Order: sequence, then C-alpha cells, then structure tokens
Amino acid sequence: MTAIIEALNLSRWYGNVLGISEVNLEIQPGITALLGPNGAGKSTFMKIITGQLKPNIGEVRILGEKVWNNRHIFRRLGFCPEVDAFYEELSGFEFLFFLLSLYGFTTAESRKKAELALELVELTEVKDRQIRSYSRGMRQRIKIAQAIAHNPEIIILDEPLNGLDPLSKRRIIKLIKEFKGEGKTIVVSSHILPEVEALTSEIVLIHQGKILARGDIYFIRELIDSHPHMIRIKSPHFRQLAKILAGEDYILNISFKPQENVVIFETHHRDRFFNRLNELILGSLVTIDEITSPDDNLQAVFDYLVGK
Amino acid sequence: MATIREKGYHHWEGQLRDKPWNFWPITRTGIKLAFERRRFKLLFVLSFLPAVIYGVGVYVSERLENFKFMAQGVDKTLQVNPGFFRSYLTLDLIFFEILLLMSLSGAGLIADDFRHKAIQLYLARPLSKSDYLLGKAGVVMFFVGLLTLVPGILLFILKLLFSGSFKFFLNYPWLILSIIFYSAFLMIFFTAFVLLASSLSNNRNYVIAIMWSIYIFSNVLGAILRIIFHSPYSALLSLKANLDQVGAAFFLVKPPYDYPWFLSFLLLISFCLLAYVVVRRKIRGVEVIR
Amino acid sequence: MRQEIWRVFSFYFFLRKKSPKTKAFFLLSWAAVLLALVIRVYNLTGNWTESGQVIFQNILMSFFLQFLIVILALFYGTSVVTEELDNKTLPYLSSRPLARAAIVIGKYLAYLTLTTLMLISAALLSYFILSLDRDFRLIDLWAGFRYSLVLTLGLAAYLSFFTFLGTWLKKPMMVGLAFGFGWESVIQYFPGSTQKLSIAHYLKSLLPQYTTSSGKLGFLFIRLEPSRPLVAAAVLFLIVIFFLILAALIFTYKEYLFED
Repeated sequence: MTAIIEALNLSRWYGNVLGISEVNLEIQPGITALLGPNGAGKSTFMKIITGQLKPNIGEVRILGEKVWNNRHIFRRLGFCPEVDAFYEELSGFEFLFFLLSLYGFTTAESRKKAELALELVELTEVKDRQIRSYSRGMRQRIKIAQAIAHNPEIIILDEPLNGLDPLSKRRIIKLIKEFKGEGKTIVVSSHILPEVEALTSEIVLIHQGKILARGDIYFIRELIDSHPHMIRIKSPHFRQLAKILAGEDYILNISFKPQENVVIFETHHRDRFFNRLNELILGSLVTIDEITSPDDNLQAVFDYLVGK
Repeated sequence: MATIREKGYHHWEGQLRDKPWNFWPITRTGIKLAFERRRFKLLFVLSFLPAVIYGVGVYVSERLENFKFMAQGVDKTLQVNPGFFRSYLTLDLIFFEILLLMSLSGAGLIADDFRHKAIQLYLARPLSKSDYLLGKAGVVMFFVGLLTLVPGILLFILKLLFSGSFKFFLNYPWLILSIIFYSAFLMIFFTAFVLLASSLSNNRNYVIAIMWSIYIFSNVLGAILRIIFHSPYSALLSLKANLDQVGAAFFLVKPPYDYPWFLSFLLLISFCLLAYVVVRRKIRGVEVIR
Repeated sequence: MRQEIWRVFSFYFFLRKKSPKTKAFFLLSWAAVLLALVIRVYNLTGNWTESGQVIFQNILMSFFLQFLIVILALFYGTSVVTEELDNKTLPYLSSRPLARAAIVIGKYLAYLTLTTLMLISAALLSYFILSLDRDFRLIDLWAGFRYSLVLTLGLAAYLSFFTFLGTWLKKPMMVGLAFGFGWESVIQYFPGSTQKLSIAHYLKSLLPQYTTSSGKLGFLFIRLEPSRPLVAAAVLFLIVIFFLILAALIFTYKEYLFED
C-alpha cells in the first residue's frame, strides 16, 4: 500500500540542539502513535510534516507531494498543535467558523461544519462563550475541533489528550477511532503509554530525535515487562516485609537502606507485586509510610533500547 | 490575608518569620535578566555618554584658561552651578534614554507575568502584593537611579575634586540634597509610569507602544495647546514640561514656565498615585475568576 | 490568491475591529476631534483670528502626520506577524490552504482599512469643525479630502514598512520606534536631497502650503524643499508596493520559531 506520509532521511536541528535525526518513516491509513518522553522530537516531527518547519536534511511527502509552502495539501490535512493558544476574544463557534472560512467554504457551509465539529467534541452548549473563559479541557477540545471541522483525510494531533479529564479522554479516543473507521490517516503523539495503548496498536517509539522502535504495542509492553522495575518502600517493618516477599518468584533482587527504614525491591511483575503488597497491608501484617518507583518505566525502556 | 508560610510538604524545625527584604529576589532577578540582553548592555553603556560629557564640562569649567582658545565666551556658558545640575537631570536625552532602557528591561516586568500567568506563582510564595510591586519597582528604580542619582552625585564630587576646595559646597550646601531628592522624584515617577504601562497589557510590544505614545502624545499636546492658547498652563499637559518645572523648583532656579511649580508637582504625584491604584487593581484582578 | 487575501482580510477585520486596543486607538485618534472643538470654541470667542485651514494644517496635521499615523502604523504593522508569534496562533494560519503571501497581504489590508477608518473619520471631522463657516467653498471640501488622501497614503507607506520590519526582525518595535520617532523626526529637516530619505518629506510635499496671518509658513514646512506632487505620490506608492512585496516574500520563505 502506498504510504500516505513519507519521511525520508529527515533531520532537523535548532542551532546546536538536535530535533530529529535520520528519521525514515512511512505512515499508512489508520492510527499511528508517536510515543516518546518530553523533548524526544515528536513535536518537531509533527511540525515538519504539517509544514510549520523545514527539515535541514531530507524531505517529507504527503500523498506524494512536498509539504513546505504547498498550501493545497492543507485542504486534506488537519493539524492540532500542542500549544495552548487561541484568538481568545472569539467564542468557540466564531473560532471554528472563521477558520473554516479560510478554506473558502460559504457562510452556510462554514456554519454547518462548525456546529458539527462542536457537537463531536461536545462543546455545543458553550459555543457562544469566549474561549478565554473555557476550562483547560474545553480549550483542548476546541483545538481538536478546528483540526477536524473541515473533514480532512489526514489528521495530525500533537498531544491531543493533554489536560483532558478521564471521561473526555475516553470520548476523544472514541472519536479518533471513528475517524479510523472512516478510512482516515491519523497521527497522534503522546508521552503516556496507557493513552497510546487505548488508541492504537501501531506505535513508533521516538527518543532523542531518533526512531528507536516501531511496531505492535505488545512488543513494547513485553520490553517493559521484561525490564525489571524498582519499587522503594519505607516502613517500620521493612525487614519483615522483605522476609515475606523474598519467597515470591517475581522478586529478582532486594536491597536495604537501614538508616532510612527503606527496602528496595526489583521485580518484573509489578502487578503481582502490588497485589501481594495490598494483601499484606489489608491483613495488617505491615504498615507502609511511603512507596515510590525510582525509575520511570518508559525512560527505563528507552535506556534499555539505547543501551541495546 | 496572611502570607503563605505555614503550608508545605516538609516539616521544618526553624522559626517562620517575615523577612524585611522579601522583594529583593524579584529586583535582583529583574536586573540580572535585563543585563542578559545584548542590546540592553550596549544601550546601557551608551546611556552614560551625557554624564561623561557633563563630567568633561565640569573639568573644563575649572580649566577655562586652557580651553579659552577653543571657544569664545565659554566662561559665560560653562558655569557649574545648580542650573548645570538641573540641566543634566532634565535633559531630553536622559528621559529618552530612560524610556529606551525601560523599553528593553521594564516593559515586560508585569506584562510578562500576566502573559505567563506567573503572578499566581509569586503570590503562592510568602510574598504579599506589596512585596511583588516593590520588587518590580526596584528594577526600574535601579536603572533610573544609575542614570540620574549616581551621575548627579559623581558630578558633584568631581566638581569638588577639580576645584580643590569645599567652596562650591559652601556656596550651595543644599545642592547635594536637591540632586538626591530630584533623582528620587524621577525614580518614583518613572517607576509609576513604567509599571502602569506594563500592567495595561500582557504583550511587551504593546507596552512599549503605550509608553512611547503617552510620553510623546503628552508633549505634542502640550506644545499644540501652547501655540493655541499662548498660555504657560498648557505645559501642564506635557510630562516633560512638568518634570522640567519640578526640577527647576528642586534646584531653586527660575522655572521654565510661568506658573506655580507645585501644580506640576501635584499633577505628577497624582499620576503616580493613580498608577499605583491601577497597578494594584490589575494584580488583584488575577485572583478573580470570571 | 485574491480570494485567499479576501478571506484573510475578512477574518482579521472582524477579529480586530472589536478588540480593546482598536477602541483605545480610536479614542486616541479622536483626541484630535476634541482638540478641534476646543480650538473652534476658543476661535469663536474672538481670541484667535487664524483661518481654520491654517490651524488645521499647522496644528492638527502635525499631530496626525508626525505622531498618529506613525504610532498607528507602528503598532499595527509590526503586529502583522509578531502577534501570531507572540500568541502562538501562527499554526492556525499556516496549516490552512492559504498562500503565505496572502496571509501577510490580507492582514495588511485589514489593518490598513481599520486604521484608515480611525484616522480619516477623525481627520475629516476635525477639519470640518475648524473650517466650516460662511466662507466655506467647494475647494475647501476638496482640501479636506486631499488631507485625508495624504494621510491614507502616509499610513499605507508606514504600515507597509513596519509590516516588512515585522516579518524580518524578531523585535521590530524598537527599530520601528527609532525609525518613526527618531530618523523621521530628524532627517526631514536636513537640507538638499537628504530629507528625501524620509517618508514624511513626500507626505508634506503633497500638502497645500498655507501661510499664517503673519505671512509665515507653518512649522510643518520648516526647511521643507518639496518634491513635485506627482513624484511624491509615485514614491509613496512605490514604498507601499516595494515593502509589501518584500514582506510577503520574507514571510513565504522564512521559518518562524516560537520563543519557548
């Protein structure tokens, strides 16, 4: 199948700071998620494929056409930027209406599309309020609305679930999946694995400007699961806790910090570990002062991949 | 409402008390940020040019015999007296330089905090609104003082040094106080002016436009009305003219306009008070959820 | 491209006409009307005998020409691009099927229309307040429109130049201030050809030169060595086109990064 979005040897830097490096990517119809920590290069990539930035090396094509300064592409593309920025004095409806008018739609068409988009993101009730009075979640939703209002084939969403409450997240995820069902191509970026997991199984892992891995979500999950997790527990019964859990097969390593009443467990089955810990706490066998995970799982996976 | 001191996630066994210099970190940071801009550094250095020229003037006034061959009548024009100091502190160029420096370093003092919604961050620390305003005011006062008070005192000291005696001081014992008080007046006025402008927008470019518009417009209006009405009172509309009038009063020289100087003084003080009220309201406004 | 320009024009004309800043500038422009009223009342009391034409040209035109059009053009011209960068709303435009040149030209025209409305309404009204009397003739009406045309052309020229500055420089306001209130204020009084390096020179060359009752020219014309009106108009028109094209070209090919 011909790729909808093709990035060939894409590199971009900002002075001495690398944005992305030697990115080769083909994106097919459906939902593709760009997953990576903050500063990984996700937004840079998205800005290049939406014509906000020029690559220093390489090229990007959408539907076989170059993107930079090619305004005709934007009839078929919708972009939701990461930044929280609006024409604050406009109402939600006016914002969508006037942006739609820039496409050349008639007044009636613009009005109809604006209202439909507002309905999709559930902002119909507040459409006549100024955007400056919107909550964080409403602002995010109106931003998504302006990206989809003109019914584009390709939708690029940079961190679309930022600032949304769990219910709104579910609704937007559902909406994005509906777009997929209509045959659209959606590229979504996020730094939160569970969000990405709920959206798609097609993930591109990006870190420090490079593509680290691409593939199925389960492959990534396995990497995380096989990489040991560290859990740090502060408790007056830390030794007793260690004694009880030492016999469990999912405990790989135990270390102590006696002066702090701390025990650190290494495990590759977080879920089983926490289930057992809950049992111990509820059975009043131990009391816990503090629980932390010293290593960020996603970072640990990336470190693991980079080390590989 | 009491400042926030009690809340925190860590226990601290020490004593919690108010510090008298709460605002100092804000001032210090504002000054530091100003000097991080290359253009500001260049303009700042160039701003001392008038002081250098006046310093040379002080020197020349003490060595007139050596310089008489250069200019006829220089002894008549180059007299270092209260008028000399007043003329330095009311130079058009000095006010222009102050506005220029404030465009680069003062315009964003409050505007940037509005833009980045940082005022709530300040007020979530053990800082009152007064501390915040004092901190910001300190930045403006620092730079205005460097252009007015410091050169003024230095010129005075230079005069004593070059003349080799305290005769100048004995002739004008109040002069040093005039320099200090008028410089302080300028510091207060420009602080009020810059902070007022900065609080009126969250975009520093607009603030710069507001500052220059008010200053130039007031002077243009004063000039126009002077032409129409041939009345010295027209000068009351001009910020520059009012500052000149007050300056003349502080230095006990003949005022440039034929009306009581205290009218200008009252007008400028009222402006400062109005600015204070407006700025305080604007800052308080961030706490109001609409 | 014309349609794209029109769409951008409509968007920004609607967006900015209601903004508080536009209202503030309207008030500033109408300070001239207030001034005209004050002068007229003062004139009617017999305190001043200059004709309305002379007063308008010597006093109010100085206000319009040397302050108001510069500040309006500076504020709006530099904003064409910088407001999209400061407010981070540029992606909303650059991800639309609009030629980048159309964005600049459309915004320029929207702001020119807005500022012209502010300026001309104030200028014409203040002119009529000062000039309308029993001796008012058709030629005086033409003079009023002539002033308006000159001011519009001046506004267009300054706006075009400041739009260019806004597309080219990161911080155009300071350079714009230095040009508008520094260079323009000084160079127009230089002798010979030097004064031709200012926009103000060409604007003044288009104005009718009235003398006061004492036979003196107004201070607007001090040291003016006027160019021929046709030449002045052509130069101003060329300035508008040249800097607008330059701005459109720069905006088309330049990348703009937000200050993060």
